[in-house]
Amino acid sequence: MEGWDTTTKSTLTQIPLLTTKAGPRDGALWTQRLKEEYKALIAYTGMNKSNDNDWFRISAANPEGTRWTGKCWYVHNLLKYEFDLQFDIPVTYPATAPEIELPELDGKTHKMYRGGKICLTVHFKPLWAKNCPRFGIAHALCLGLAPWLAAEVPILVDSGMIKHKDDAATSAQ
Amino acid sequence: MDNELLELQRQFEFAQQAKSSVRLSERNVVELVNKLQQLQIIDFELLHTVSGKEYITPNQLRLEIEAEVKKLGRVALIDLADIVGVDLYHVENQANHVVAEDPGLMLVQGEIISQSYWDGIAEEVNERLQECSQISFAELAAQLHVSSELVASVLEPRLGSLVKGRLEGGQLYTPAYVARISAMVRGATRGITVPTNLSTVWSSLHQLLAQMDGGGGVSVEGALFQSLFSGLLKEGEVLGSLRAGVHWTPAVFGHAQKESVDSFFSQNSFISYDALYKLAISQPRQYLQSRYSEGIPLETVFSHHSVVEMLDAAIEDAIQQDSWIDCLSVLPTVYSSEDASKLLTLCPSVQKSMKATIMAESYVLSNNFIKDVFEKLDKETKALTPTRHVFDVSPSVKEAKVGGDNIQFSTNNETVEGKSGDKVPLEKGLKRKKGKSARSSKAAPTEDSSVKQDNLPTKSKKNTRKQKEASSLQVTDARSTGKKEIERVKDDSASLITEDWIVQKILALFPDFEGLGDEDDPDSLVRVLTTHLRPMLLNSWKERRAALFMENVETRRHLLDNFQKKVDEHFLDMQLYEKALDLFEDDPPTLIILHKHLLRITASSILDLLLLNLDIDNKLKNGVQVEESEVAETSSLTSAERISLAKSLPGSLSLKSISAVEALEGKRVDAFMTALRAIAEESGLLLKKLDKKLERTRLHSYRKDLTSQVASETDPVALLPKVVSLLYVQLYGKALQAPGRAISVAVSRLKDKMEIAAHKVLMDYHTATVSLLALQSAATGDEEDCTSDRLLTKREYLESRVSELKALVLNSNQS
Repeated sequence: MEGWDTTTKSTLTQIPLLTTKAGPRDGALWTQRLKEEYKALIAYTGMNKSNDNDWFRISAANPEGTRWTGKCWYVHNLLKYEFDLQFDIPVTYPATAPEIELPELDGKTHKMYRGGKICLTVHFKPLWAKNCPRFGIAHALCLGLAPWLAAEVPILVDSGMIKHKDDAATSAQ
Repeated sequence: MDNELLELQRQFEFAQQAKSSVRLSERNVVELVNKLQQLQIIDFELLHTVSGKEYITPNQLRLEIEAEVKKLGRVALIDLADIVGVDLYHVENQANHVVAEDPGLMLVQGEIISQSYWDGIAEEVNERLQECSQISFAELAAQLHVSSELVASVLEPRLGSLVKGRLEGGQLYTPAYVARISAMVRGATRGITVPTNLSTVWSSLHQLLAQMDGGGGVSVEGALFQSLFSGLLKEGEVLGSLRAGVHWTPAVFGHAQKESVDSFFSQNSFISYDALYKLAISQPRQYLQSRYSEGIPLETVFSHHSVVEMLDAAIEDAIQQDSWIDCLSVLPTVYSSEDASKLLTLCPSVQKSMKATIMAESYVLSNNFIKDVFEKLDKETKALTPTRHVFDVSPSVKEAKVGGDNIQFSTNNETVEGKSGDKVPLEKGLKRKKGKSARSSKAAPTEDSSVKQDNLPTKSKKNTRKQKEASSLQVTDARSTGKKEIERVKDDSASLITEDWIVQKILALFPDFEGLGDEDDPDSLVRVLTTHLRPMLLNSWKERRAALFMENVETRRHLLDNFQKKVDEHFLDMQLYEKALDLFEDDPPTLIILHKHLLRITASSILDLLLLNLDIDNKLKNGVQVEESEVAETSSLTSAERISLAKSLPGSLSLKSISAVEALEGKRVDAFMTALRAIAEESGLLLKKLDKKLERTRLHSYRKDLTSQVASETDPVALLPKVVSLLYVQLYGKALQAPGRAISVAVSRLKDKMEIAAHKVLMDYHTATVSLLALQSAATGDEEDCTSDRLLTKREYLESRVSELKALVLNSNQS
């Protein structure tokens, strides 16, 4: 589990693991799986809140729960930078991890695939594969997006690629 | 969509909507707290835990401590520091506060202990105590890891309530056990009848207990016994007295002691301290004095007053009978002589009447008895004649003695002064004599007065020699010499009346004194009596001597006068005869014969006279009564007698006398004469020198005497020497004393001076006489010889010639 900082790792271990191995096309099993996903997310959110480390809001965009949208944010130099967040549950899920997209930052950084899909570390995929089907959406956020934001946002802010919305407003004026 | 899923969606939504809690970093919090403290909003001391992650207020700490103590009952501060996670220093501080505020807590050796903890312990102890019936504090303390004093202090208030037992010398006992031990102690102490050291009793009880318990390890301290015992004593369950905490004297013993002392004392009216010691009364004197106030405490014995009365009666009896009594013979044997003397001081008959004397502590002698003894002894001393052995000592020692006496005098009456200075070499003699002279010096002053009147011419004459000698050493008057004389005499008597002598006399006079102790023991009655009597005896002896001395003075004067006259007479004769010897200077053999004759006849009589008189004089001087008849009698002495007499004379006189006696045995008259003169000088006599006038008168009287003798002489043989002598007087004017052997020579010498016819007559007569005497000496053998006839004829012839011879002398005398 090297490659992540200690805080991330300790948090990850506290997120409840999932048990049902089912994709969006598996019908009732998927529903079962979705319930577990929710429980994990609730625990993760509660954990973040209690640690004063709340950093995202997501919700299912369709009733099947295959598409998720929301926001994520990062505080840098006492300024909060907020981005839109969306991803689809792939058909091969949970063998394949969902691809998290930040459309606002598309084209602004190297560590991103076309369409705003973030580049994850080399360690992510083996770990996920190893923990299939126990890892779910919450784990993907925790292991994928959170470290990415912590690494990329300060660089983007310093290079001036992104600006705080207040600054953007003033510069617009 | 099932409901559960919806529900979860809603919950998730809700969870995301919920407000996230605000969280500050540690660094922020520390900064905040510092800020608060700076702003004085936190105005009390804020403590932090050992980990440094937490702040804690002192109140909180106290609360935590209290909670911990309440929970455990007993907490070590070190443990407390670990538990609350606060530094030990703060824990200690706060623990002190906690303990100070709460009286139920105590801080002991770094531990906080609550009363409830002790209550629990007490209950535990009680349980164990009821099981074992005995627990030692030391054991408890070791178990609880606290000091036994603490255990004692904690358990004592709980005794009787929580702990049902009794505390005794660091041990806890159950009441039942205590009762049992108490019964044992009571039994043991009641059983004791003699004074005992309680610790021995306790140890035997201890052994007994150990046996009963089968060595069960229940050990009982002596202190328990002791305290139980003192409890019993206080309650009166055992009777007796306790001294020094351990010496137990049972009342029954004291009672028995008292009984036995009482009975003995009332029966015998005395009791010896030894007896009381045997009864274990350590201070018998005080004991008896406190009990019998009328008794008399003595050295070895406690006596009833009646003993004194009895003794008094016995003594009174003895006094009335003019006798003596040994108190020890009257008193029981336990009385020592010291006791007796102490009792005697209490006897009224001895103390008041003054009729008795106490001697050698226990003997009471009636004064009349002593007087009797003294008188008898006095008589004995009268019989005692002094032998002048003192004069045998060499002159130098005598001199020393005189010196010693002088020193004695200078201290006594200061008449002789400054003489001790040149007497240093004589110190030795002085010391030897000191004892005696000191004793005699007491009597000296009384004698002085009597001696003063003795300053008589005769005495001083006698003392001339002494004075001469003394004057070279000292400037003194005649009196002091006289005194010295007396002193010497006194010394003499002191050495004469020795203690031993008195002892012997007393024993001879009073045989019942014998066996009263060792004679040589200075404390025996005889010795004491002797020392008591000796000064008195010496005094009376001296007084008597002094009186006698006075008496003798007169006799001596007479004697010496007579003596002088006689000596004069004889000496003149002697000198006269000596002169006649000059005629025979040319005839040595005859001279020797004549010398010898003169010595034998005349000189010996002079010397005898001299010696006898000197001896008598000497005796008189010493105060010895001499009979007059002795003086008158002047028989001739043998040479041995002379020597002994000469030796009895004092000092140098003796030496000179001896030499004179020796000269008498010699052949020279002149040697004797010088010796004689020496004696006379020594004894203070005057020897008259023959002068012309005296010689003539002496010669004349001698001639007259001889003439008358010749005229009246009838014996023809005896006639011849007288005639010859008379002829010598007539012809030479010399008095010749010739022996028979020398007659022939004397006759032949007359030849020149006489007419031939007259000489012829004389020669014839002489030859006839010689032949007669020869015949007489030869005729002694057989009487019937013809010699008797011849003797007769010779005698007749001589007788016929007598008238012729007489005429020869008498005629010439007449012419």
